Amino acid sequence: MARSSAARKFDHAPSIDAARRPGFGGGKPPPPVRPTTPIGSNAWLGMVMLLGAEAMFFAGLIGAFLVFRLGSAVWPPPFQPRLPTGITAINTFILITSAVTMRVGLRANQRGESTGLIRWLSWTASLGVIFLTIQGFEWVRLIHFGLTVSSSVYGGLFYTIIGFHALHVFGALIWLMVVWLKTRYGAITKQNYVGLQICAMYWVFVVALWPALYGLVYLY
Amino acid sequence: MLKRFPIIFSTLVNIVLWHGTSAWACSVCFGGAGDDAIDGYNASVLFLMATPYLVVGTIIGGLIFTYRRAIKRREQAEAAEPVVQLAWDQEESGR
Repeated sequence: MARSSAARKFDHAPSIDAARRPGFGGGKPPPPVRPTTPIGSNAWLGMVMLLGAEAMFFAGLIGAFLVFRLGSAVWPPPFQPRLPTGITAINTFILITSAVTMRVGLRANQRGESTGLIRWLSWTASLGVIFLTIQGFEWVRLIHFGLTVSSSVYGGLFYTIIGFHALHVFGALIWLMVVWLKTRYGAITKQNYVGLQICAMYWVFVVALWPALYGLVYLY
Repeated sequence: MLKRFPIIFSTLVNIVLWHGTSAWACSVCFGGAGDDAIDGYNASVLFLMATPYLVVGTIIGGLIFTYRRAIKRREQAEAAEPVVQLAWDQEESGR
């Protein structure tokens, strides 16, 4: 009976020594399999790109400020209200503390302590609310003293730069509250923490931005 | 448009040759040396020129740092628990 082509292939099979050459499947054993999980998530990389774009946005505003600040012989311009540097320094400290509490919350999540994370997120949100409240009160006082967006270039620059930062803090606060709710209902855990991670990145960005803006707009 | 090209071209050439100072390429050319406004613009241009390098450099530096830290952590984890080799018996494959 004729044999199949598959059977006939083994009529002239190579010897064992030949079979052990790499081309025939022998030779050195393959390298051990390494895990191929990415270093950072796509959300993390996307947030990095967003923060780069936000940094350039604020760089444009700072560039506009520099044009007017260095282009004026006298700064602040005469007959303009002076900015509240003292209370804003305290506000700066409050905002920086909120970044610390956020970081402590992240550490708590890495240990698997969801109650600790909720507590520290609450502290972070509270400090953010205090920051925005004090900013709002100071703005109302400045408007009362005559510094408005249309009163002068000084006022326009101040409200544009500080206003955009406050808007970013407000947006970060809304996001933080969503993350708080997700943690409260178990959606964010030690294993599933990407949402918390990128929220923390954005929060730290707006906090780190503030001392630069404070130094430039309020003190310089 | 093509028929009017010589007129347009000669007009532009005349403007450049005889009225060059009236048609500066830079729309914000103004002031003289030592003008405060010039200093302000120069500082702003330098700052905005350097900022993209700073931002991109920070991002790339962060990525490199994260990559190296991940490799280090992976090696530490593998040292604690060696990766299981493929179940490939060399003698068996040599049949």
